[in-house]
Amino acid sequence: MPDCNVNFEAEIEEGQNKRSVKCKFCSSVILTPATAAIMNVEHSLPLIRQTKTTEENPDTETTSVFWAVKDMFTFQNVGFSNTVGNTKYLTCADCEAGPIGFHDIPTKMSFVALSRVSHGDPI
Amino acid sequence: MAKTYDYLFKLLLIGDSGVGKTCVLFRFSEDAFNTTFISTIGIDFKIRTIDLDGKKIKLQIWDTAGQERFRTITTAYYRGAMGIMLVYDITNEKSFENIKNWIRNIEENASADVEKMLLGNKCELEEKRQVSKERGEQLAIEYGIKFIETSAKASIRVEDAFFTLARDIKAKMEKKLKEASNPPKGHQLRASEPQKKPTSWLSRCSLL
Repeated sequence: MPDCNVNFEAEIEEGQNKRSVKCKFCSSVILTPATAAIMNVEHSLPLIRQTKTTEENPDTETTSVFWAVKDMFTFQNVGFSNTVGNTKYLTCADCEAGPIGFHDIPTKMSFVALSRVSHGDPI
Repeated sequence: MAKTYDYLFKLLLIGDSGVGKTCVLFRFSEDAFNTTFISTIGIDFKIRTIDLDGKKIKLQIWDTAGQERFRTITTAYYRGAMGIMLVYDITNEKSFENIKNWIRNIEENASADVEKMLLGNKCELEEKRQVSKERGEQLAIEYGIKFIETSAKASIRVEDAFFTLARDIKAKMEKKLKEASNPPKGHQLRASEPQKKPTSWLSRCSLL
């Protein structure tokens, strides 16, 4: 599901996430409001549901709208996968659905794909 | 941007493979995710945020990532650990017997004052139980640590376990800070003031 056609404007306030960022599947809170910056960057992410999973050659899609997080401890709840190249993939801490985004080891930046999460009011 | 938390605790989950250290509600109700990319590469650690007595606490929880298959865990893995959750499966006698080995491994490799807790996990049905609750309690008493039985199907107890462990670490830390500041009567030093020589344990804590 390409995310370029989806309008996320309503979720952005002063360049940050207006509402909580939650898991699409179990509603676990990933980021509390106003803790991440909107960023447009093209990045290929393995699909959450794979038809034939192979570690070397997973089915991927290009995602382009992310919530950028500088300090990993900004996350309310999140899982970090084992390292693949320069990357750790992000998952829901509760149901482990993912990748919902990725963590770039050299820059220590984390990116959550807007298309892979839901947005809700603060709890 | 200002830090959004008060404490950061590094916690480890230790126990035999297959005791359900990583198992959570979702995997039981919907095993579709077991075939995904993420379960293939595995989870390294999780970050969770809890509120404890008005303080925001970040827990960084590490799983042994398969190292436990070798029945020993390296010192590097224990470095900086402030709390260890010892996990066994109540439907697996062997995993319970091995807790003693894990405690020995911890004593040999981890910091002496690491906070420990015993967790009897129930990933399957009660009918398959091999280890009674009493035996779990008895073992915990033997080692002077806390004990809780949890079920992945009632994730609330798992959360309780982490709260208990975090609360004990926080209490220990605050006690140490109080001792370190050695306050003369009447005037109390603030915990955030730099200490002349923090202990190795304290230096690993993020006190903000």
